[in-house]
Order: sequence, then C-alpha cells, then structure tokens
Amino acid sequence: MWKTLALATTALTLVACSGNKSEEAPADSAAVPESTAPDGATPGYSAERNAYFGDMHIHTRNSFDAYIFNVRRTADDAYRFAKGETIKHPAGFDMVIAGGPLDFYTVTDHAEYLGILPAMNSKDSPLSELPRAKDMFSTDPDKILAAFQGVGESVRSGEKIEELYAEPLINSVWGQNIAAAEKHNEPGVFTTFSAYEFTSVTTEDSEDGFGGGNLHRNVFFRGEAPARAFSTLDSTNPEDLWDWMDAQRAEGRESIAIPHNSNVSDGQMFRLETYNGDPLDAAYADQRNRNEPLIEVTQVKGTSETHPDLSPNDEWANFEIYDELLASNIVSKTKGSYVREAYRNGLKLQEEQGFNPFRFGMTGASDSHVAGGAYSETDFWSKVGIVDGLPFQRGSVPMPGITDWADQPDNRTTHNAKHWFSRWSASGLTGVWAEENTRDAIFDAFRRKETFATTGPRMKVRFFGGFGYTADTLNAPDLARQAYAGGVAMGGDLVGAGEAPRFIAWAIQDANSAPLQRVQVVKVTSSGEAVYDAACSGGAAPDANHRCPDNGASVDITTCTTTDGSGAGELKALWTDPDFVPGQRATYYVRVLENPTCRWSTWEANRNGTPPNPDLPTTIQERAYTSPIWYIPPA
Amino acid sequence: MRQFLREPLVHFVIVALLVFAGHAAWTAHVAARDGTITVTRDDMQRMAALYASESGALPSPEDMAAMVSDKIRDEALSREARRLGLDAGDTIIERRLAQKMGFMISDLADPPAPDEATLRAWYDAHQDVYTAPPNITFEHVFLSTDSATNADTTTLLDTLNAPSPPDWRTLGDPFILQRAYGDLPFRETVRLFGTDFATALFALDASDAWQGPVRSALGLHLVHLVAKEEGSLRPFEEVRSRVEADWRDDARRSANETAIADIIKRYKVRIEGAE
Repeated sequence: MWKTLALATTALTLVACSGNKSEEAPADSAAVPESTAPDGATPGYSAERNAYFGDMHIHTRNSFDAYIFNVRRTADDAYRFAKGETIKHPAGFDMVIAGGPLDFYTVTDHAEYLGILPAMNSKDSPLSELPRAKDMFSTDPDKILAAFQGVGESVRSGEKIEELYAEPLINSVWGQNIAAAEKHNEPGVFTTFSAYEFTSVTTEDSEDGFGGGNLHRNVFFRGEAPARAFSTLDSTNPEDLWDWMDAQRAEGRESIAIPHNSNVSDGQMFRLETYNGDPLDAAYADQRNRNEPLIEVTQVKGTSETHPDLSPNDEWANFEIYDELLASNIVSKTKGSYVREAYRNGLKLQEEQGFNPFRFGMTGASDSHVAGGAYSETDFWSKVGIVDGLPFQRGSVPMPGITDWADQPDNRTTHNAKHWFSRWSASGLTGVWAEENTRDAIFDAFRRKETFATTGPRMKVRFFGGFGYTADTLNAPDLARQAYAGGVAMGGDLVGAGEAPRFIAWAIQDANSAPLQRVQVVKVTSSGEAVYDAACSGGAAPDANHRCPDNGASVDITTCTTTDGSGAGELKALWTDPDFVPGQRATYYVRVLENPTCRWSTWEANRNGTPPNPDLPTTIQERAYTSPIWYIPPA
Repeated sequence: MRQFLREPLVHFVIVALLVFAGHAAWTAHVAARDGTITVTRDDMQRMAALYASESGALPSPEDMAAMVSDKIRDEALSREARRLGLDAGDTIIERRLAQKMGFMISDLADPPAPDEATLRAWYDAHQDVYTAPPNITFEHVFLSTDSATNADTTTLLDTLNAPSPPDWRTLGDPFILQRAYGDLPFRETVRLFGTDFATALFALDASDAWQGPVRSALGLHLVHLVAKEEGSLRPFEEVRSRVEADWRDDARRSANETAIADIIKRYKVRIEGAE
C-alpha cells in the first residue's frame, strides 16, 4: 500500500532535484583519445563528435489515444525497450528493438488528459464513476467511439471537459513520466529527457472529434522540468506554447519544441501567417527559431521532406507519402506542409522582409504509441495498438480466409488499412553528432542543429561547408578535425567570402543494413530547388545531369534477397555547387540513399505466402537527411 | 522524508478510526441485517495513498472522514443491490468485477522483501545480466574499399610494424567515427561495424603489432588490438543492490500477469468461430 505513495513522493522529489548534474565519475579509457577530453567527460568522449541515435517521440498508456487501443505499457517499459529488453505489444506478441539498443529515447505522452483514461478505467479512481467512463470502457463500440471522440474533440478545440480535467492527477502522472526519465538517464550510456506532446489540431468544419490538420509538437526539457505541462487545454495556439516556453526559460528551465507531421498539417505548419492569420514578422521568426530549432521530417505517418507535386524534378520525392488528416480521410493541402518548401519560403521572406522563421534542422522519430518504435522493414508492428498490430489490419496481406486482393470486403478494417495503416512507414530515428552521450552534449547538438534524420537504419552522415577545403582535406586521416576547424557543420550558417563554398558530404552505411547507393546535395533558393548526386557508389562520377549511373543493385521481390551491385560501405565527396550565384542565399542539405530493399508490406506478404498488396510499393530506398547549411552572401 | 510522511498518516488513521466509531450506530444497523462492514487499516492507508497520488497532497482529516464515510455507504448499498439480485447479467458490473479482481491481484503483486536465497537464485538464473561483456580496446587505420588494394594493406602493415613507424594517425583514409576505442563491448562493436568485423576482431589476440586487414561493411581496417577482456561474471556482493532492484521490478511486473494467467487456467476457454 505504501508503493503508490512512495512513487508519488519520489516523483515530486525528482521534479525538485532534476536540475542536478550527473554524479557519474569519469572513467579512464584505456585507449589514447584522439583529443584531450575535459575533466568530467564520460567514456567515449570525442572532440570530433560521435554519432548517437535516438527516438524522441514515444507514447505509452498515459496517452489518451494509446490507452484506448489497449496499450498498457508504461514509460518505464518504454525505456527498457530502448535499452534492448523485450516488451509486449497490446496484441500479445513480443517487441524487440531493431538494430540494438538506442543511445537516447524520450517518452512524449500527450499532455492533454495525461493519465486520465487509465484512471477512468480504474475502480480506485472516482473518474471511473462518470457515465463517460462507463461508456468509454463498455462493450458497445458506438458508446466507446462517442466517448473517445468527445475527448479527442476537447483536445482539438481546447475546451476542457471539466469532469475529466483532474489537474492534480494529470500533474502527478507528468511527475511519474519525469521520474521514469530520471531513473533511466545514465550519463555516458543512455540519455533521456523529460518531455511531452502538445497536441494542437486545426479545425475542420466538416469533422467531429479529433480530425484535422496536425500542428503537434513535442516539448523537451534540457534539465529540470516544470511541475505542469502546457497543453491545448491551456491554449491551442502554438505561439502561446512558445510564450510559455520563453517564460520557463527565463526561470531557468530550458526547452525546445520539435513539430512533426507537417505532411498532414493541411498546409498550416508552414503557412505564411500567424496562427490567428496575422502577417509574419521578425519577432515571430525570432520566437519560432528560438523555441523550434528542429523539425521531425520522417516518422511512421510518412515523410515531410517534400512531395512530388512540389518537387517534380526530384525522382526520389515520391517516398512514403502519407497525406490524410488525423483521424480523417480528408487529403491534406500540400502547400505549406513540407520542409523543403518551407526552407524556400524562409529564404523568400528573408530576402523580401529580412527575417526567416523556418531555419530548423532535421530529426526523425517513430511516434510509436505502443512504447516501442518499429524501425525495421523486416519486423514492423505499426504504431497504434490493437487496431494495426496484425498484418491484415494494415493491408499488407489479404483479410483472413480471402486470398485474392480483388475480392477484399469493404469494411472498417480494410478501409482503415487502405487509407491509413498500409501507407505508414517503418521509420524513423534521429542521429546527432555530439561529444558524448549526455543530456547536455545531446541537447547542445539539438541547439546547434547538428542532427540528421533517418528512415530507420543507422547510417551516419557528416556534412561540412567551408572555403578552404581541398581534395587533400578529403583524404586526410584527420578529416573530421580539419573539417570542423575549416568550416561549419550541418545546422550552421556559412557566411560568403566571394567564392563558391566547398562542401564535404560523407556517409557510411549502417553496418547491419544495406549498402549506400548515392549521396546527394539538395539545394534550395528563394526561386527554386535542385538535387545533385555528389557521390556515387562504385566510384562512378555523376553525369551532366548530376545523376549517378545505375549501380547494378537489385531486389528479388519474391524472397526479399538483394544483390549489392557496387553499393558502398562509405561514400564521400568534396562538392561545389555548379550553379552557384555568389549574391544569392541558398540552403543546402544532404540526402543519403541506400540500395533498394523490400518494404515492410512485401516482407509480410512473403511470410504470409500471398502476393504483395498491388496498391503499395514493393521496395523502398531507406535514406537519411541532414540539417542544412545556410549560405549567406557576403554583406 | 519517510518519517515526515509516516507521522501524519498515523494521525489520519487515528482520526479515521474516530470517524469510524462515529458511524458505529449506522454500521451496527447495517450489520444487523447483512453482517458486518469493516473498514480496515489497510483500506484507509490505500485511500490516503490514492488521494496523495492524485492530488499531490496528503488528505486532511476531513477528507479522510469523507472517504471512509463514502466507502461505508457504497459498501452498504452494493450489498443491498446484490441481495436484490441487481448484479446478475449486467455487463458493466461484470467488467467491474473483473477489474476489481485485477486490482486485488495488483495488491498481491506488491512483493515482500526478498531473502538472501531468493536473490542468490535470481542472480544465478540471470548471470548473463550480471556478466561484464567481453570488450576490446583498439586503434585502427581505415582503408576505404574504393581506394584499398591488397598491395596497399600489405605495405601499410609493414610500415606500421617497422622498428620506428610513423604516427599511425597520419596513415590510411579518414574514418567518419573514432579511430581509437576503449573498452568497447562486443554488442557495441556489432552495432558500429557489423557482425563480421566484430567476430573477426574478437578472435584476434591483443598484441603490440598491428594486425589485419579486418574487413567491415565500411571498408578495411588495420588494427592495433591493445587489450581484450573476456566476459566475466561480477561477484554477487558487488551487484547485490542491482540484483534486488531487478528482482523487485520483475516481481511487480510479472506477478500481475501470472496471477491473471493462473485464474484463466482454471477455466476452460472456448471461443466460438475461432479455429
């Protein structure tokens, strides 16, 4: 009986103490370090920075839209999963992390009604006595749906359901999530942050419930977290969230927010007006950049980099595109929803009005609602819970008992599979370049935007821009040191010197995934965009159209076995923009492409002995995106 | 902190008992018809704990009194409802009973303090967890697959093993990650360089001489294996507190599911339509 009370007390104590730094004593590394590590550094410290991988977007039972789908795993379970332990999916099977333990991981439960659904389903809570609770946990699908939609609608509208808004309980559960993050944070080994999701949704006149455009963002605290989390029940306006973050910062609680699923924001994530429809200005840009230095560009609900309609000359733009608004079959507006276009509009605003609100770096995450992310095409479990846990529910195999894709019944399962789950993605992860695996070092990397996103595999990619790099630099054994010393890394500003900048794009494959096909530089200006292949596998040179030749790699769809062709373990290029205009601002980022492999839906079809769903791509090219380097012409 | 909590709670229990006594007449009346309603010390501690976890504050004596009073009222009414047969065939009540059973099981899951033998047995059964993994300390000179030829690696190896070799850091191609790793566990080596490289590297013996090349998915590596430590089981005494924490975590997590599974086992389950 003392357990509950002790837990609550621990949580409160930790809230008060979480500003304390690591008590870990520095350990001596037997190897001679490449450079001298400062006092107090953890083992593995490198001044030239290491690549660390993490998933910054995980939901557990305390999220309203997880518990309702039978998710019962806790934040503690989520962190155990990330460290390599096995946990259960709500459908009963085991989940094991693909590719081995992650370096950092963050539970980001929805702040709105945090922990309220579990309480509504608990005899010991007075919330379970509410008619709404009896409906929510009844056996009548209509009542369950109505009760759940009621909560979703409140999250979207920001109008509280007073009887469910038990703030002390919400704050107490927030404290438990903080406590779990504190418990699992281990400097030098595994990093966590106190974090939550702010769940703003645009309003669609025709939709009830939760349906609408996604303006969600996750809020991460560098150290100490406040005792309550600002949610849409305080305000649905993200600019009010930034005000709150600014106020917290002024009191010493530093944080950043990372928006996600701009792809289904209905054109609102990067619209060229404020939330209330006022013109953008420099103060807006400052506040947005201060609070949102990063964006999540890939996750289970698709790609937010770009769309084929926006990038018709990018042959790789049609990648894991998902475009239906949340809990809806309305197609999201394309303009205003994608990162590359936002980079372009940012430059346009800069040139015309002197400010750029879209100067963010890139991250990837899973957005798993079952406490564990599914990052591998070979072992996918989607993200929601009992409604998408099995292959037929996500449309990779036909409904049980019906083998022909042409004879599928039209029911809720096939409808949801067709519109939503079949189009979801086994993605993604965030890579950061940081000196060591500690909260401070990783958070500093977030602030520097020295981050990259991957669609699941752990390929590593470095990107530098400068003016003094030469072919010798590229082959120097201490390339990383010279590159840092002679320029800026991804996420940085490169101020012009009159000549064309030199870029170093450098990637290695995930040693446990497919080899690399090519490394590309994507250039964005206020007037357009271009994709250049910068390094080709097999040592080939790009042709006059900046394209690598076919590298001979192939996939056998019926078995998912691959041949590597000239696929590379490492690709590296010293690249100069052939269309450089000295006086024009330009944003450059790197995209790394793996050789093609089977998509998760093909793996599942083969295991089931049925043909792949004809509506789905059979293969994909896993990829990584770096944060940009912003070229600024000389004054 | 514990002392601070304990005193007010003892206080609440006393106050609550007084409240209980105050209800004696009414409960006696109920008891006369349908047995006795007892509010136990554990009941009251549980109410206080639940209140504290939800509100972040400890209950006042008035709160405590109200909770006890509600509890008695609910108990009396529900007994009366059952006497009248109102519970039969009601889905909500059936779900409630299942939930209540679930909570009883959760309570049972609160593990008692383990004795030494239990912890030793856990330690013995989970030696892999308490085994420091094999690890290596090495430096490597990397050769990109595109540029490396066998002649290159042989010449380079000779250079590295010459009587007065140049600084190894000035040789080979740049490597995107670190060129020296200390105490790198096997699993981490797999994660960074792949299984083939890790297996080959861990098969080498530590030596002052440079060895290789060892191939990874990334290219070729000449390695100076400075030290290799085999995996070793850490003594029980050294990891005792972690063993106890692990045992408690596991007991809490698994007891609930085990208890439910045990109950389900007592029934024969038949699902119509399932193959």
